[in-house]
Amino acid sequence: MSKIIDAKGLACPEPVILTKKALEQKDDVTVIVDDDIAVGNIKRLGVKLGRVVSIEKKEGGISHIHISGTAEAGKKQAAEKGTDTLHYESCSPAALVVAVSSDRMGRGNDELGYVLIRSFIHTLLTLNPLPDTIIFYNTGVKLAARDSEVIDDLMQLEEAGVSILVCGTCTNYFGISDALGAGCISNMYDIAGTMAGAGRMITP
Amino acid sequence: MTGVEKYDVILFASVSHALRAEKILKEAGIPFKLIPVPRHISSDCGVCIRFSPAYRKQIEEALAGKVDVSEIRPL
Repeated sequence: MSKIIDAKGLACPEPVILTKKALEQKDDVTVIVDDDIAVGNIKRLGVKLGRVVSIEKKEGGISHIHISGTAEAGKKQAAEKGTDTLHYESCSPAALVVAVSSDRMGRGNDELGYVLIRSFIHTLLTLNPLPDTIIFYNTGVKLAARDSEVIDDLMQLEEAGVSILVCGTCTNYFGISDALGAGCISNMYDIAGTMAGAGRMITP
Repeated sequence: MTGVEKYDVILFASVSHALRAEKILKEAGIPFKLIPVPRHISSDCGVCIRFSPAYRKQIEEALAGKVDVSEIRPL
C-alpha cells in the first residue's frame, strides 16, 4: 500500500522531512506538493535514497511525486538511464553533516580564511559518499547567496542529493533572503535537529 | 560544470601570488575559479586558478609583468 502525504502549503523543508519519515515506514510513498522547490528537494531525497522517483504535474501548480521501490531498484533505474553518477551508500550508519558557521575557514587571517573556505566547499564535491546535509549559518549564509563564488559548487552538491539548509534568521539579518542561489531557508528547529541527529559533524 | 568541460589551471609559487592574480583577473572581469591544486598535480596544500581555455590569451595578457606564473597546464 502506498502512503499519501499531503504537503500542500507547507514551507520548505517541512515536505522533505515528512517524506523522509514516511519512507522510513513504507517503500511506496506519494507526496502532494504545490511548489517547485519542494518538488526538487523531494526528488533529490528519493534519488539520494536510491528509490524510483516519478513526478506527475497536475493543474494549479500541484505536483504528485511518486517514490517507490527499494534502494536496489533505484540503482538499477539510474544505471539504465546512464545517470549512475552517485556513489552513495543509502544505509549509511552515520549521517555526515557539515556546519558552516562563517564565510571564512579558521581564525586569524580573513583573506586566507576566505581562500580556505572556498577550497573546502569545492573539495566537498570529491567526498564519496557526499555529506548528507550542509548547514549554513551566521556569515556562512553568504556562501549560499546567488553572487557567491562557490555557488556553482553548492548547486552541484544539491543536484547530487546533498540537502542544504540555510539559516533564515541569518539571511534576514544580512538582507539576502531573496538572493539565495542554493539550498532552502531553514529555521533553528531544523538546524538544531539536524545537528543533534548527525552521526558525524564537521565544522570547517 | 559537469566534468565534461575542459579546464586549464595556472599554478603559482605561493598563495600570495595566486591572490594577486585573483585580484587582477577579477578587476579585468575574466571568469575563473580559485580551487585547491588538484591532488594529481601536487600534494602541496596550495590553491590555483582554474579557467576555460577560451580565456587563456586574455588571462596571460592581464597577468603579464604583474604576477609570476609557475605553470599553465591542463587540469
